[in-house]
This record gives sequence, structure tokens and C-alpha cells, in this order.
Amino acid sequence: MKILVPVKRVPDPELKANIKDGKLDLSGAQWVVNTFDEYAVEAALRLTENADEGSRDGEVVVVTIGPDDAAVQLRSCLAMGADRAIHVASEDANLDSLLVAKTLKAVYDEEKPDMVLLGKQAVDGDTNQVGQMLAALLNLPQATFAASIELADDGKACVVSREVDAGVEFKKLPLPAVVTVDLRIVSPTSITNGITPESHEYADGPRYASLKGIMKAKKKPMDNKTMADLGVSGSPVVKELEVTLPEARAAGQIVESVEELVKKLSEEAKAL
Amino acid sequence: MLSTTLNPKLVNPTEEHEMLRQTVREFTRKEIEPQAEEYDRKGILNTELLRKVGDLGLIGITIPEEFGGAGMDSTAAVIAHEEMCFSDPGFTLAYLAHALLFVNNLFYAANDDQRKRYIPKTITGEWIGAMGMTEPSAGTDVLGMGTVAVKRGDNYILNGRKIFITNAPEANVFLVYAKVDGRITSFIVESTFKGFSVSEKIQKMGMRASTMAELILEDVEVPAENLVGREGGGITNMMRNLEIERLGLAAMSLGMANRCLDVMLRYSNERQAFGKPIAEFGQVQSHIGESFAKIEAMRGLIYGAASTIGPDHRNRPASDAAKLFAGRAAKEVADSAMQVLGGYGYCNEYRVEQFLRDAKLIEIGGGTNEAHQKNITRDLCKLVQV
Ligand SMILES: Cc1cc2nc3c(=O)[nH]c(=O)nc-3n(C[C@H](O)[C@H](O)[C@H](O)COP(=O)(O)OP(=O)(O)OC[C@H]3O[C@@H](n4cnc5c(N)ncnc54)[C@H](O)[C@@H]3O)c2cc1C
Repeated sequence: MKILVPVKRVPDPELKANIKDGKLDLSGAQWVVNTFDEYAVEAALRLTENADEGSRDGEVVVVTIGPDDAAVQLRSCLAMGADRAIHVASEDANLDSLLVAKTLKAVYDEEKPDMVLLGKQAVDGDTNQVGQMLAALLNLPQATFAASIELADDGKACVVSREVDAGVEFKKLPLPAVVTVDLRIVSPTSITNGITPESHEYADGPRYASLKGIMKAKKKPMDNKTMADLGVSGSPVVKELEVTLPEARAAGQIVESVEELVKKLSEEAKAL
Repeated sequence: MLSTTLNPKLVNPTEEHEMLRQTVREFTRKEIEPQAEEYDRKGILNTELLRKVGDLGLIGITIPEEFGGAGMDSTAAVIAHEEMCFSDPGFTLAYLAHALLFVNNLFYAANDDQRKRYIPKTITGEWIGAMGMTEPSAGTDVLGMGTVAVKRGDNYILNGRKIFITNAPEANVFLVYAKVDGRITSFIVESTFKGFSVSEKIQKMGMRASTMAELILEDVEVPAENLVGREGGGITNMMRNLEIERLGLAAMSLGMANRCLDVMLRYSNERQAFGKPIAEFGQVQSHIGESFAKIEAMRGLIYGAASTIGPDHRNRPASDAAKLFAGRAAKEVADSAMQVLGGYGYCNEYRVEQFLRDAKLIEIGGGTNEAHQKNITRDLCKLVQV
């Protein structure tokens, strides 16, 4: 089983975003791996290991498209346990979802993985497009917002569950396929790979990069490529014009009675 | 958390250091912060959390990879202490006592047989370690210790008392200093050895998420193979470890000060008085400005010192200076935070009262300010004496 996990670096979502002259001011940003991509790395590692024995069974290749210092986030994924990394050099401003998807298609064509596993969206732009575009470009089956993944015994298909408004939907996909993950993918028993005993319970959430992992990471291979190497060119079709904060919410009101609430909802909010 | 305005290469010299910081910060945010207040209030050590810290590899941070450690340097140890202390100084002190006072100390002094017997169990946090140097009537005056060890057959028989021993109530194994024929020698003592016992917990002002007690040694039988190094080698072992211990304690001060500045900044922007945020008042700015300057100075000094210290590289004056300066500075920053928060600072909610209690320890434990002043003066005088 070989899994390709595209990851994006994003400004630490726990810190306050600054806006200056209509643009995000990233000068003091602390960069981290996009939360959902970190979940995808965790899911990929779980799919390719025997957690009880602590042994690997498969390969996880992480890829990022970003500036030079995005290598740090790739190393973090290697420190978590990924086997190999590919760094495609590009400035963030020269990218949009479609260009990213085209680049990932080129990487896919070189790597021929059994699965592309990625976050459902990046927590910076929240576009939620790359997985879907990539599946379309590759003409592969896709399942988005995966909450669990179960690998078929023969390793040729997987069953993905997704939480939808009406309940849980199960999709069976022949491999290779593109799967985007939601946060439940890192619950204790969300991954079944036929190797780790089904009784195994993971800790909730993505694993930390252990210190041993960190020390091993620098010895793991990292390929550096350019978009030209991959035969991808073009400029973004989506352009960022301006970034503004949403308007501050007006203060809430406390009402005395249900009657008053209904009156306000119908007369002031015009919601009824 | 506010990041430094200094050259980032100073605090994260390599990519590994940067990843380490990120891992520990994330671990601290998710696992350490949520439990900190409760354990401070109850005055108990979270042993399960220490196991998790072991799983992450933090206990063996300075131990070579071939012995199951991470093989990292003093700067890495500083990073770990700084980051954990942002949330829980008491727990970090317990970690320091285990990882530096016991594991690191033992590893670099022990022979391979002793390493095999004690490192694997302690590096995971399965066994907790502690170090016993201070005695009821000899603290700063280490050489004045009264605990004695007498060889009898295949054993050494230890008698004496050790006080203020961090982790003693929980520890399975201790590194104990005792005099053989008047010469200080180190021994590995397990809590189950005949004649060994531990007092009730000693209650204290701060660092309450770590525990301490007195060691009572009454004809304790220690097998000769548990003598570490050679008879009379205790001072060498002690001295070899002192610098990284002081760096760890200084880094704890830095972590505490980081937290206090963070709280002070947020609060002073939100809190209004006389129609404006209190951050606009000059006297509040004086607390913030001075605290920031102290923190960056601490950081420069601690990381500057850390890069010169390792198992084979000594730098006593720098480690003394780092702890002397950082201990006091962090206490002052915590006091400033309390002042800026007014009544809210004195009460528990924002935890600055805890950080003020905790910060004071660094001026006493692991060497008092006066001891550092004495050491520094002695080391510097050597340079000018002919
Ligand atoms: C929370 C906590 C945890 C601790 N954990 C441990 C531990 O795990 N293991 C361990 O072995 N010890 C531990 N200690 C003990 C600690 O290291 C000692 O308290 C410290 O070294 C000071 O010794 P003392 O308390 O005996 O004070 P003393 O040495 O008696 O000092 C009293 C006062 O006299 C001053 N003084 C002493 N000598 C001189 C001098 N020559 N010149 C000028 N002034 C002097 C001191 O600076 C101090 O102000 C811990 C202490 C605390 C509070």
C-alpha cells in the first residue's frame, strides 16, 4: 500500500490573523501543517502499519507545494512517521486550487500511489476544492469528508464512511482513489487496515512527532522539484483582491418571555 | 504565545530544535495545560502525564540514541523546559528532577551494567527517579553533608537524612550522595531497599504539582554494584550535571515569564479603566516594557549559555549567571503580571498568583542566588589571580 498525502503549511490557526492594507500580514506568522492534512498523515500512517507491533507495512509519501521554508512542515510529517517527502517549490501567491491540483496530478503520475489522502480543506483559505479537482483531473473515484476508512482484505478497494445530514453514508471505492478526510478520521477506531488488530484503540487525534521521530526525520529522503520539472505551468485563475474581517456581530439581547421572543423574531429579525 | 524578536536561530539552532519546540508546544497545549490547575490545587504529581512525556521521548532527551534516548543537546533540554513551563511549572520541576537530576546524572556517571539496569525503566517514566543531595543541616554547604556509607561485605550501609527531595513520595529509585571515609560518593538506592523510607509529603508554597519528602536512611543495604563511579567520585558526578540542571531551571523561569507576559498583554488590552484600555497607562507600560526586556535578556543569556554546555563542555559561570538572572527576572515578571491584573491577579482565575509562587523557587532550589554569586565570583577571581 502506497499513499500520497499532499500537505499545506498554514499560519498557526490558534494565533490571531493580522490584516494590513487589505492583505493578510504573514510577516510574524508561525507556520504549521494544515490541521486536516495532519489528520490525513495520521490516517495514512494508521493504514500502513501494525500499531500493536509498531511495524510499518506500506509507504507514506508526503508532498507540499510551497516556498523553501515549507520544508520544515514536510520534516514534521516525516517526524510523525511518513517515509519520504517531495517538495515542489513555489510561492504561495502564484498558486490557486486548480494549479495545486494540476501539480499534484503530475506528482501522482510519477508516484502511482494506491491512494491520495488529503485534508478536506486547508484552514487558511477554506476552499475545499483540491481533492475534488484532483480526482476529476485524474479521472479517479473520490470520497470526501471521510470519517472512517476500511481497507478491503485484498487491498484493492476501501469503504469510506462520511457523516452527512441524514446520517452516515458508506461508499465503496475501487483503488486507486482520492479520499479527503474530516476530523473524525483520527478517532480511536476510525481506520481498519486488516493488519492492526481490530481491538486496537488509538489515542484520539494525530500522533505527536516523537523525539526519536524528529531525529530520524533528517535522514529520510526529501526530493526537491520545481513545477517546471513536473511540466506544470500557468498562472492562478483565482486572484485575491482584498482580505477583510467579517463585520463585528451586534450584541445579543436577552428577552423576558417566549411571547417577546416570537415578537422580536417576527418583527425585528423577520425570521418568522 | 508571543514569539521572540531575537534571531530565531538562537532559540532554534536547527530544524530538529524547531520541530522539537513545536511538538512540545502542541503537547503542552493539549495535554499539560488542561490538567495544570487541578494538580497545583491538589498538590499531587500527575504520574500518568509523566508516562506520556516518556512516550514522547522527552525523558531521554539528552541520552544517546543507542541507549534509547533522543541524542539531543542542552539547547533541546532548554526548549523542553521552557515550553512545558508555559503551562505547568510544578509538573516541569518533577520532570526536571526525573530527567535531569536522575536520568541524565546517572547516565553520564554510570557504567554499562548500571545503565542497563536503570535507564530503560526510567527513560519511559515507568519508574520515577529522584536525586538526594540536600540534608536537613547541609544545603548550600554540600561538602558539610552528614550521610555516611560504610562498606560491609558486598554492601554499603547508608545512614543519614536527605531533605526537600523532589519526587521522593513517588520515586522508585534515587541517586543518593553519601560520604565514604569522608569522601562524597554516589549510590543508586531503590525505594524497596531494606532500611529505606520516605517521610510524609513536605508542603510548600509553590511548585505544588511536584511533590517532595525527606529520605530516611537507616542502615540501608546498598549492593556494591550500585556505587556509581568510584568511591569519592560523587563531587565529580555532581559537578558534571550541575550546569545542565541550572540551564533547565533557568529555562523554567523563562517559560513562566513568557506566560506571565502573555497574560499581562491580553489583559491590559481588554481591561478598561477611565475610559481606555489600561495598556495605555504609562505605569502599566512600564510593567510590560520592563518584563519584555527581561524576557529577551533571559532568552539571550540562557540560549547563549546552552550552546556552550554539554557532557564534554563545561561552562559554570554562564550556567550560574543564567539561573541567577532568570530566576529573579521571572519572579519580577510574575509580580508585574499580578500588579497589572490587580485583584484578578491576586485571585486564582488567571493563574498568575500560581506563577508568582512557582517562580520564587528558582531563586532557592538547585542553588540559591547567593550560591550562584559565590560561584561566579570564585570562577571570575581565578581569571585575575596570578
Ligand atoms: C521545591 C524544592 C525542591 C528541591 N528539590 C531538591 C532535590 O530534588 N534534591 C535535592 O538534593 N535538593 C532539593 N532541594 C534543596 C535545595 O537545593 C536547597 O534548598 C538549596 O540548595 C539551599 O539549601 P538550604 O535550603 O539548606 O539553605 P541554606 O544553604 O541553609 O541557606 C540558607 C541561606 O543562607 C545563604 N547561604 C548559605 N551559604 C552561604 C554562603 N556561603 N554565602 C552566602 N550566603 C549563604 C543561602 O543563600 C540562603 O539564603 C529543593 C528545594 C526546594 C525548595
